[in-house]
Amino acid sequence: MNTVSVMQTASAAGRAADASAPVRIAVRDLDFFYGAAQALKGINLDFFDRQVTALIGPSGCGKSTLLRIFNRIYSLYPEQRAEGEVVLDGRNILDPRIDVNELRSRVGMVFQKPTPFPMSIYDNVAFGVRLNERLPRSEVDDRVEAALRRAALWNEVKDKLKASGMGLSGGQQQRLCIARTIAQQPEVILFDEPTSALDPISTGKIEELLEQLRSEFTIVIVTHNMQQAARISQFTAFMYLGEVVEFGPTNQIFMNPGKKQTQDYVTGRFG
Amino acid sequence: MAALVEKAMSGERQALNRRLSHGGFDRAFRWASLASALIVLLVLAGIIASMIVGGWPAFREAGLFGFVTGSTWDINNDVYGAWPAIAGTLATALIALVIGVPISLGIAIFLTQLAPRWLKGPVASAVELLAAVPSIIYGMWGLFVFAPLVAAYLQTPLNRVVEGIPIVGTVLYSRVPSGTGIMTAGIILAIMIIPFVASITRDMLDQIPSVLRESAYGIGCTTWEVVRHVLVPQAGVSIIGAIMLGLGRALGETMAVTFVVGNANRLTALFDPGSTIASRIANEFNEALGLQLHALIALGCILFLVTFSVLIVARLLIARVKVH
Repeated sequence: MNTVSVMQTASAAGRAADASAPVRIAVRDLDFFYGAAQALKGINLDFFDRQVTALIGPSGCGKSTLLRIFNRIYSLYPEQRAEGEVVLDGRNILDPRIDVNELRSRVGMVFQKPTPFPMSIYDNVAFGVRLNERLPRSEVDDRVEAALRRAALWNEVKDKLKASGMGLSGGQQQRLCIARTIAQQPEVILFDEPTSALDPISTGKIEELLEQLRSEFTIVIVTHNMQQAARISQFTAFMYLGEVVEFGPTNQIFMNPGKKQTQDYVTGRFG
Repeated sequence: MAALVEKAMSGERQALNRRLSHGGFDRAFRWASLASALIVLLVLAGIIASMIVGGWPAFREAGLFGFVTGSTWDINNDVYGAWPAIAGTLATALIALVIGVPISLGIAIFLTQLAPRWLKGPVASAVELLAAVPSIIYGMWGLFVFAPLVAAYLQTPLNRVVEGIPIVGTVLYSRVPSGTGIMTAGIILAIMIIPFVASITRDMLDQIPSVLRESAYGIGCTTWEVVRHVLVPQAGVSIIGAIMLGLGRALGETMAVTFVVGNANRLTALFDPGSTIASRIANEFNEALGLQLHALIALGCILFLVTFSVLIVARLLIARVKVH
């Protein structure tokens, strides 16, 4: 990896880091278990409003695990459990009394592989909207169009909204999934390695999109690609073996890390 | 030195011999496996041919159309029409699907989406075990246990309600509330196809990548919405394929149906005795002679063609599915 270019991109993005922004998600003493195996140990992290926070670290360090806590998707699997606190808008989302369906409409998630639903392009986006709100048809139309525009997909699909979402290319499918997520008007969007299955051009489009979405949404992204983290995030958390080694503004993590381990990882010496 | 050379040469010869014999074995093996495969095709072709040849006189006597639509089955006067048996076959199979498919889907969805781990194993094995019950057992159980229940708790009360009502009464009234009939056969068939439809559907649902399921939950769907709008449409045609496999089995099932269908040559009402192609053949084959025998073979020929095409369609539908 070209260290200098990573640092340059990091400094460009990092300037926008705004630690005075309100905290949107606060993680306190979070432990996570897959059955008996502990995957996260005592995580404490703040995610700032309308900032992109990247989670980086070698495979198996727990970054995806952490992401999957924020929308409680892990609770689909009875053997997985989290302990501690994750506070979103003053409420601990780990509280069993929380309505996970409502939570998930406020915390959207985009996965590693595009996951269009087996329905038309229009319905893929409208589906999520109709789940939570009863809107007149014209308003649903507006929301769908706005979301597709926002996801930079509108021009490519506006003439085939009734076609199946499965017929799109990989990059288009991923933007469709992003459109589906933002159509629900969430507060937070979680991205789990959203470009790892895409070609460089599609990846570039998604990254541009992330940059624009930051003005409206709090974004948390897991990525294996250090340059990507440096390019698009304002804050970065480096994780290793289930713990947060270092957290801070992206330019600091990449250019002036406080810990040797972080430096070794971001300069490609291990990982 | 010379001895060494000779030894080396003999070793070479031995290696050569071994290769030769290997080559021979390989060829023999290839022919043998080809022959095994060809036997299947030959037997299949032989069955089709003999069914057509055997049934030909009956088709010629009444005409193909006349045979299929004729509703008289008169052994004394040698007049044979297949319609009541065909209609009975279709009716029982349809009832089996109407009852069996929703239950099968429910089982498959429960096993793949809802069942806690400790319950998954026992329910899945119980469903598979249903498939292992011999059909004669279903027949006996159907006749001695289930049919009296149908007579007492379904036909008799229903008769009281529907008697005299036009159309509904004609369809649902049973003149002889004996418990045996088209409806009872259909219910037994439903139980028999459930394990097949359920286990294939379960496999289809299992093949759907978990990330699709997660992303449906991820936008806030309830389990019902995930199943209804994402998983079932995704499995789509292959579920229809699974249903067709069940249909194929329901159409051809003989033993259990023969016990409970009532074996009357008519198709009047849902609860009345009727017959299916398979039950008709099973009942009469022993004493059939002449044209009657040809008519039975012709019946078999029709059944064979119908189930064969149903199974082919099912296969195509199941194969078409690909998880993206």
